[in-house]
Amino acid sequence: MSFVEFRFLWFFLIVFGVYWSMRENAARKIWLLFCSYIFYAAWNWKFTFLLLGSTTVDYIVGRMLARHKEHAWRRTWIIVSVCANLGVLGLFKYYNFFVSSASGFLAWLGLPASVSTLNIILPVGISFYTFHSMSYTIDVYRGRQRAISNFADLALFISFFPPLVAGPIVRAITFLPQLVSARKFADVDVRGAVLLFLSGFIKKACIADGVAPIADRYFAHPANFTPRSAWIGVLFYAIQIYCDFSGYTDMAIASARLLGYQLPNNFRFPYFAQNVSDFWRRWHISLSSWLRDYLYIPIGGNRGPRWFVYRNIMITMLLGGLWHGAAWTFVIWGALHGIALLVHREWTRLTDGLEWATRAMRWLAWPITVYAVCVAWIFFRAHDLSRAGTILKQFVLFRGGGSEHLHRWMLFVIVALAFVHWLNSRRWFAEPWRNWPAPVFAAAYGCTAALVLLFVPPSYTPFIYFQF
Amino acid sequence: MPIRHLALNVEPLRPATSTERQTLFRALINSAIGVGAFLLTCIGLHAVLPFPQIDGVSQKLRFFAAHKDEFDTLFIGSSRIYFQISPAIFDGVIRESGSPMRSFNFGIGGMHFPESAYVLEQVLNTKPRNLRWVFIELGELQTKWPHEAAGSRRALYWHDWRRTSLILRKVLGSGTHMVWLPNLKKVRDIILPRKSGLETRDLFIFHMAELEKNFANVATGSDILDYFSRRDINKDSAKYLGAAGDGYVPMTNKGMSASQAAAYEHALALVMAQNGWRSISPYTMEACRQCAQKIRGIGAVPIFLITPSTTRFNVTHLDNARPPGVVMAFNDPRVYPNLYRSSVRLDEDHLTKEGAEEFTRIMAANFMHLVQAGEIK
Repeated sequence: MSFVEFRFLWFFLIVFGVYWSMRENAARKIWLLFCSYIFYAAWNWKFTFLLLGSTTVDYIVGRMLARHKEHAWRRTWIIVSVCANLGVLGLFKYYNFFVSSASGFLAWLGLPASVSTLNIILPVGISFYTFHSMSYTIDVYRGRQRAISNFADLALFISFFPPLVAGPIVRAITFLPQLVSARKFADVDVRGAVLLFLSGFIKKACIADGVAPIADRYFAHPANFTPRSAWIGVLFYAIQIYCDFSGYTDMAIASARLLGYQLPNNFRFPYFAQNVSDFWRRWHISLSSWLRDYLYIPIGGNRGPRWFVYRNIMITMLLGGLWHGAAWTFVIWGALHGIALLVHREWTRLTDGLEWATRAMRWLAWPITVYAVCVAWIFFRAHDLSRAGTILKQFVLFRGGGSEHLHRWMLFVIVALAFVHWLNSRRWFAEPWRNWPAPVFAAAYGCTAALVLLFVPPSYTPFIYFQF
Repeated sequence: MPIRHLALNVEPLRPATSTERQTLFRALINSAIGVGAFLLTCIGLHAVLPFPQIDGVSQKLRFFAAHKDEFDTLFIGSSRIYFQISPAIFDGVIRESGSPMRSFNFGIGGMHFPESAYVLEQVLNTKPRNLRWVFIELGELQTKWPHEAAGSRRALYWHDWRRTSLILRKVLGSGTHMVWLPNLKKVRDIILPRKSGLETRDLFIFHMAELEKNFANVATGSDILDYFSRRDINKDSAKYLGAAGDGYVPMTNKGMSASQAAAYEHALALVMAQNGWRSISPYTMEACRQCAQKIRGIGAVPIFLITPSTTRFNVTHLDNARPPGVVMAFNDPRVYPNLYRSSVRLDEDHLTKEGAEEFTRIMAANFMHLVQAGEIK
């Protein structure tokens, strides 16, 4: 069940109606927990047991951490939690990747090994809920979060359906306090939430799914296309992935808000970033801040000699890339972003106080950043390294490729969408709605929703981040 | 254990304040306004928007609407009609008997019940004044769609309530009575699907989603863009209307290879050896009844046609109700051996150009015979 399907609308209406008709907070939470498991079971009910198992382990670890004050015991229990969570993630997501990579490496060394990969189905959203879950035990271990005694509360935090399958990654310290008291409907910004949902829906169903066939066509056979088409294909993919992922996030945040819960913001117009470091403060914020707080800082962060810091950045970005998917293309994507971050740091250090550099960067920073991000997207989207190489040659060197071309008018689509995006960043679309009387707003919203549906493709394309 | 120890620790009920009640009430009113505006806009757009641009269907429908009073006979169905009935030959045979006739082939590849019933309704909505006979291909009501076409506009446009409800009844096994009484096993398959029940669940979800999307005019925006960009929507018409502009496009005359012919002969022998015939479901009968009613509504006569095929059923062996109209069946290889020679066939369902022409002649002669005998008025 996806946010852009009609059945989600029916599901949510039932959840919403029953939820607000209940007066007891405990009953509401149990209802949300039940619905969240139903939501997850719509993909594959068998994996609800995995979700439940992960919750149980972290609940027990949380209780044990609360009980034991000795450092050695606490350390043991946190290792149990991290190993259990990463073990599940490793088995379902990375087992085949590591086995086939090791086999390939041994073959390259002249030691062919016969290994067998497993026929494993990747549970949807496993990377997200594992991170939700780990944030709880790590924060309890660090003493930032009290271990909770109510199992249902922890289960609801981990399985809460809006961010369950594609984020944003929610931390225990931001979500669990919201479960303490009953949410009040009067405090819900319904207008803001439904507008955010519609905005997310337009991004996903109209824009991302609209440009997807063109990007797919190019990335399927890049060698057949001209370098100009490579630019169109890559830029269309940059639009697709942003609209797809931020569209999902908007709908998730809006759904949670309608139920009275606040989720962290995940995007702040990332393509307006002035450098790669800025990009990561705007793109998938919940992941980048999670990696910063639970990986980068624990391994040293900005402390120590410069090369030590650079090593930490590279480790974080490589693992961030691997988090997205079990393939070398994702690892390279992470590495490219790591390198870009290092280059930016070095550039900032070397040109610190130089007037000409500041002036030049005022004009060049944005195009360079977008270009670097797009180059990295090539590896993120390419089916394999060989095709990524072909695309890179076309996109960077304007060489290679065939005679097939994507139509020139698509460049105007890119410009038009960029302009709309800029207007949106100025709140040009959302602001006027705020001032209308509620009945006028409701009628206009209904009409707009009906008009938006005209431009939705007939078939539904799964969210890109579902595969992670 | 004393009972009082089992008492649940629950929060005391918090009485709803009047402000909360007012907020909820206002939210309900505004939601109703929003939903009402949405529904009215969808209905309004549905009424205003043109027939969607569906390859083959739109071109033929536009052509027919422009020449609707020129035709007195219509053939409607799948590729077994589209590629196998030549209106020119049919009209020629009838004319030889002294009756003037002009027919149109509205066959579309892959168009079965209930899509064909929907298209027929659109054709009849153009109010053709001279239409006297409508031949509808009789085949089982289809609930499944090829996977690659499942997300297309072709799978979407015909999902109105009449068609979808019939499909859902079939999927749920609930019969065709006024009151829906779904088969409980099927309901369980939808709610708690097992491996064997996955198809029921998938079909139910698929058709419900298509109905909702069709109601909400999903994906019709491209038609609006076509209208404003003045794109030539008739440029492919010739491809679907055929050389004579009568809707017939002949298949190739290149028949089967030797191995294909041997496999076909083997399959045919098996079919002829079997005595049992597939029966038509009550849902198909209901679709036939609805079509017949519409056709009779404009003063024409419905004729149900079973094309020469080895995989179809034979209504003459049916023990359940017969379709509401004359049935012309050509699916018995014993009666029409010439139409089952491997030399005139492309596969078990389709004829070559030569076979199609022969079939059209036989069908026209049978039709004339039925008219003269007074069985078709």
